[in-house]
Amino acid sequence: MDVRGARMETVAEDELVDVAALRAAVQEHYAEVAHDPVGGDFHFHTGRAATDRLGYPDELLDGLPDACVEAFAGVANPFAWGLPQPSERVVDIGSGGGLDAMVAARAVGPDGWVVGVDMTPAMLERAGRNAREAGIDNVEFREGLAEALPVEDGWADLVVSNGVLNLVPDKVAAYGEIMRALRPGGRIQIADVCVEVEVPRDARADIDLWKG
Amino acid sequence: MEGVGFGDLRFGDPVDTYGGAPGEANARTFGVHGYPFTAVKPG
Repeated sequence: MDVRGARMETVAEDELVDVAALRAAVQEHYAEVAHDPVGGDFHFHTGRAATDRLGYPDELLDGLPDACVEAFAGVANPFAWGLPQPSERVVDIGSGGGLDAMVAARAVGPDGWVVGVDMTPAMLERAGRNAREAGIDNVEFREGLAEALPVEDGWADLVVSNGVLNLVPDKVAAYGEIMRALRPGGRIQIADVCVEVEVPRDARADIDLWKG
Repeated sequence: MEGVGFGDLRFGDPVDTYGGAPGEANARTFGVHGYPFTAVKPG
C-alpha cells in the first residue's frame, strides 16, 4: 500500500535520548503490564480489546491461556502476512507475555522452533509460565535486546515483532541485527507504529512520549 | 531498512491502534497508526 506521508523513525536517536534511562523506563512500564495487564493505567489497549482491534482471528487465540492474551500489548498484526510455515525457525523480538511467539510455535509445529526475546524479566517469566500452561514446548524465551539478539547468525527463517522496534533508539542497529539473525532468503513480518507528522526534537527526547 | 539490505518491503493496511485508548490524543497529534510490514533478506 501507499504510505507516502507516513514516516518511520529510522535514524539513530541515541543522541536525543538517554538510552539507559529509556530502557529502564520501558522495562518498568512493561513490568507493570506483566504484573497487572487488566487493572493497570496504560496509554494503549491490552488483551482482547487489543487483539480484536488489531484483527487477530479468534482461531489464532483459541486454547491460549487467559493470562497470555491479557498481557498482549501489540500495535498491529504481524500475521496479516500469513502464519509461519511448518518446521520454520522464528524469532519474536519483544515477546512480552508470549502471545505472538505461541501463535508462531503452534504454526511451525513440532519440527519448528520459536525463540522469544525480551529485556523485561517479568515478561519472560510470564511468557514461560503461559507456554507451560498451554503445553507448548517448541518455544523458549530468552533475555536480550533487539540490538543484540541471542541467536546465532543465519538461524531464523522468520523474525516477527509487534510494537517493539519503535521503542529502540537505534533502529538501524536493530534492523542490522535482524539481518544477521536471518538466513539468506529469510523474511520479517513486523507490526509497528508509523507517524505521519514530524515529531519535534524536544518530544523525541521525552521518555514519557516514547512510552506513550 | 533498505539501507541495511532488506528488499521487497511491503506495508499492509493501517490500523487505528490507539483509538479509544488513553493514548489516543497523542496518537492523533502525530498521526500515529499501526502497520504490518514485511521484507526479505536477499538470498
